[in-house]
Amino acid sequence: MEKNEIKHLQKAKNILEARGISKHYGGIKALDDVDLVLRDGEVLAVVGDNGAGKSTLVKAITGAISRTSGTILFDGEEVRIDSPTDAKAVGIETVYQDLALVNEISITKNIFLGREIVKDNILGRVFGVLDFKKMDTETRDLFKKLDIRIADIYRDAQAFSGGQRQAVALSKTVLFGKRIAILDEPTAALGVRESKMAMDLVASLKDHGLSVIMITHNMQHVMNYCDRVMVLRLGRLVAVRDVKDVDGDTLVGLITGANKSKVA
Amino acid sequence: MTNTPKNSSTPNSSPTMTSTPNSSSTNWDAMKHQFMQIWQVLAALVLIYMVFFILSPPFRNIDTLLSIFGQASILAILACGTTVVLISGGLDLSVGSIFAVVGVVVGIALAEYELPVYAAVLIGLAVGTLLGAFNGIVQVVTGVPAFIVTLGGLTAYKGFAEILASGRDLSRFPDSFKVLGSGYLMPMIIMFGAALIIGLFLTKTRLGNHTFAIGGNEEVARLSGVKIAKSRIYYYMIGGLMAATAAILEVSKLNFAMPARGQSYELFAIAAVVIGGTSLFGGRGGVGKTIIGMLIMQTINVGLAYMGVGTSVQRIAIGAIIILAVYWDVSRRRSR
Repeated sequence: MEKNEIKHLQKAKNILEARGISKHYGGIKALDDVDLVLRDGEVLAVVGDNGAGKSTLVKAITGAISRTSGTILFDGEEVRIDSPTDAKAVGIETVYQDLALVNEISITKNIFLGREIVKDNILGRVFGVLDFKKMDTETRDLFKKLDIRIADIYRDAQAFSGGQRQAVALSKTVLFGKRIAILDEPTAALGVRESKMAMDLVASLKDHGLSVIMITHNMQHVMNYCDRVMVLRLGRLVAVRDVKDVDGDTLVGLITGANKSKVA
Repeated sequence: MTNTPKNSSTPNSSPTMTSTPNSSSTNWDAMKHQFMQIWQVLAALVLIYMVFFILSPPFRNIDTLLSIFGQASILAILACGTTVVLISGGLDLSVGSIFAVVGVVVGIALAEYELPVYAAVLIGLAVGTLLGAFNGIVQVVTGVPAFIVTLGGLTAYKGFAEILASGRDLSRFPDSFKVLGSGYLMPMIIMFGAALIIGLFLTKTRLGNHTFAIGGNEEVARLSGVKIAKSRIYYYMIGGLMAATAAILEVSKLNFAMPARGQSYELFAIAAVVIGGTSLFGGRGGVGKTIIGMLIMQTINVGLAYMGVGTSVQRIAIGAIIILAVYWDVSRRRSR
């Protein structure tokens, strides 16, 4: 495995490396010394049973929760990521499960939440007066680019369907995630048809220059949309595979621990 | 599971489907929606006014209308600050006591130190803002809930005001100070001015827009990079500043200051905010609604008084209306 890993490392550039990530809650090891490597331009799936530590891993990498230990390298250089803002600053945009949009504010305001554009004059600089015209225009351009047909961008987010909301959340990664998009179960709350739409959008993120880490429970999505897959079990990394080298059954075995002999 | 909105206009549509293709018309929809919300409260106000107009002959008088506005204005200014705090998902029970402290401080500045009016006013505003900041800082540093921190402030600031005022005669202020709060016009102008400024703050600025995001879903706002703690402190400072403004006007109007003033004002303010239709749970609301909410309360008070109903019954009526308003808010949230 060591040799293989090294060969892979040399083949494609690693955009993100998280080394020895641990998160302990008291005596409980939610994450125990997990390594994650994301290559430039790939879609990496993170799979595992409930409680395997998938969301914890993502949150520990993006600074949404504090790490017990571990270092993060971006483009081969160590970076400090202690808060979601730090992660955004280096070009990592995250879509958290159930925590993507504020229901009470408009689509445009959701897209720009935390990164609003202020007017380019004294009102903007001194009082933080917002340039809604510019933000609306950018939102429309973004939706056009991604073929998301939501016209009523002034409306509160709660007026939209699960699929539309997920599309809006995913579009934020294109606008702001200059390099990496991290998606926590992007189809969790969606129906079959909406899931397909959302996953097509995920696939198109590549075309916009993003490398993607995606947590999922859906083995079909892993096989159809991802390049590599890493498997977590009880807070530990148990396997990293090229998707073309595995099938759904093997993955399920790795997730549940049924075929331990095959663990890399 | 994420929320599955039950909005009938967009049932389960896919990401690449749209409910209304024409963008300019949807902007109108959004604006119409806004107007509809405020129209409902405004209609309620007009209706209540009409009822008293019909029932009580002495009520049919322009002076009565003016006195409603006059009584509403000082409390409405205070309630504008409360609106900001409630939209952000916070709560401030201490503004009535901040009101008392500022009144006493301004009284001391004018009567004892004979400071110029502008200096006394500025000191008063600064004290109110600082006490508001203290409310916010204690909350974000200790993590103690807003209810408890500001309940502590309610009694502590009151005690502070009493200590400051003890043994002092705080009355007989210069004429140039009395101009601020006397009559109906000046307080009304200041009320509309304050509402306009806070309204612009909430809708046009970054910090103002964040009140809705933080009150709507604090965790999403945090993950989006909104600086929650800092913003919250600012919102409580605005609450304190508005309480101070109201206190200065009242001291000017009464021509004396005493620590007993401001009693229960925080509750009147919250009542007006809620009656106006700002959500007690955060994320929605506006100052225009609060002004109307305060006018509704005062119309009922004045109207009942004209009909010879005592203050005790007035209190019961207001209490019932507060519960009705929150019931409306709760049932609206449930239907989503």
